[in-house]
Amino acid sequence: MSGRLLWRTVTVREVVPETARARTLVLDVDDWPRHVPGQHVDLRLTAEDGYQAQRSYSIASAPEDEALELTIDLVDDGEVSPYLVEEVRPGDQFEVRGPIGGHFTWDATRGGPLLLVGGGSGVVPLMSMLRHLRARGGGIDARLLLSARTAGDVLYADELDRLSGDGIAQVHLTLTRGTPAGWTGFARRVDDDMLRAVGPGPDAARHVFVCGPTGFVEHAIEALLRLGHPPQRIRAERFGPTGGATP
Amino acid sequence: MSIDGNGVAGLLAEVFGAEMTTVRRRCADCHEDHEIGAHRAYRGAAVVLRCPGCGAVAARLLADGDRRLVELRGTWELAAATATA
Repeated sequence: MSGRLLWRTVTVREVVPETARARTLVLDVDDWPRHVPGQHVDLRLTAEDGYQAQRSYSIASAPEDEALELTIDLVDDGEVSPYLVEEVRPGDQFEVRGPIGGHFTWDATRGGPLLLVGGGSGVVPLMSMLRHLRARGGGIDARLLLSARTAGDVLYADELDRLSGDGIAQVHLTLTRGTPAGWTGFARRVDDDMLRAVGPGPDAARHVFVCGPTGFVEHAIEALLRLGHPPQRIRAERFGPTGGATP
Repeated sequence: MSIDGNGVAGLLAEVFGAEMTTVRRRCADCHEDHEIGAHRAYRGAAVVLRCPGCGAVAARLLADGDRRLVELRGTWELAAATATA
């Protein structure tokens, strides 16, 4: 991966509602270089008066998927996400450049066991990894622990069910702000006991990826280190600000 | 607002013309080695990258129109940028 990053015009093919605050944009882009799961794009909006705003968004789709998919979570008082979540329609165009990043990446050739820990929309780059694993037919011990505020905030809930049912990955959810009746998953912030229950433990896990708001990531990494996961096997991606909120 | 080096990977690639998050840097203060993607990034008027081990400044990056101003500290193993695929 080298060379200059080019801004490319993309066209929105489809808009898929995910939760009350998030939706996936399915994008058509010419000559898109194949990405590695975990990478992101920079997205640039240009107003009629020339004013530009730029943000980074993780890629949700697998490299094997035909279109580029970004899942955008609404940031209150945000400059870019309200437009992308509430206003964008099929046929609209904007610019992206990428794929970007080599640190927070994984593909099936690197093997497992794989432990993925996501907070809120931090699941997006982890989903690219799991979709890639599914496209490759599975066969790697992969576990996802996803923390969300409520059941309604869980991104890709149906697809995660299928990934779990098909044996591609073990999926564990924890809800931090209330649970529906009959809930059998976790219902608290990520902690040592939860990570121990999810596994794989420090002796087995080869690759650990943690993504979420800065506070969530710090909290999860501290717990992983307490359990004995070697720091060099833990890769993190933080985004902010979140005002200290826990997903 | 604290993110990490991954979040400024695009800006770094603009400046260096290569993927930089896998480049390792040795901190001049604590002498630890960390990939740039593991560094902390603070966005203000400029982006300040800090060592995740000790918090020492690793780089300041300023995008001013078409100009990119960069101040680097510590030892950046730039050869790694072309060695990774």
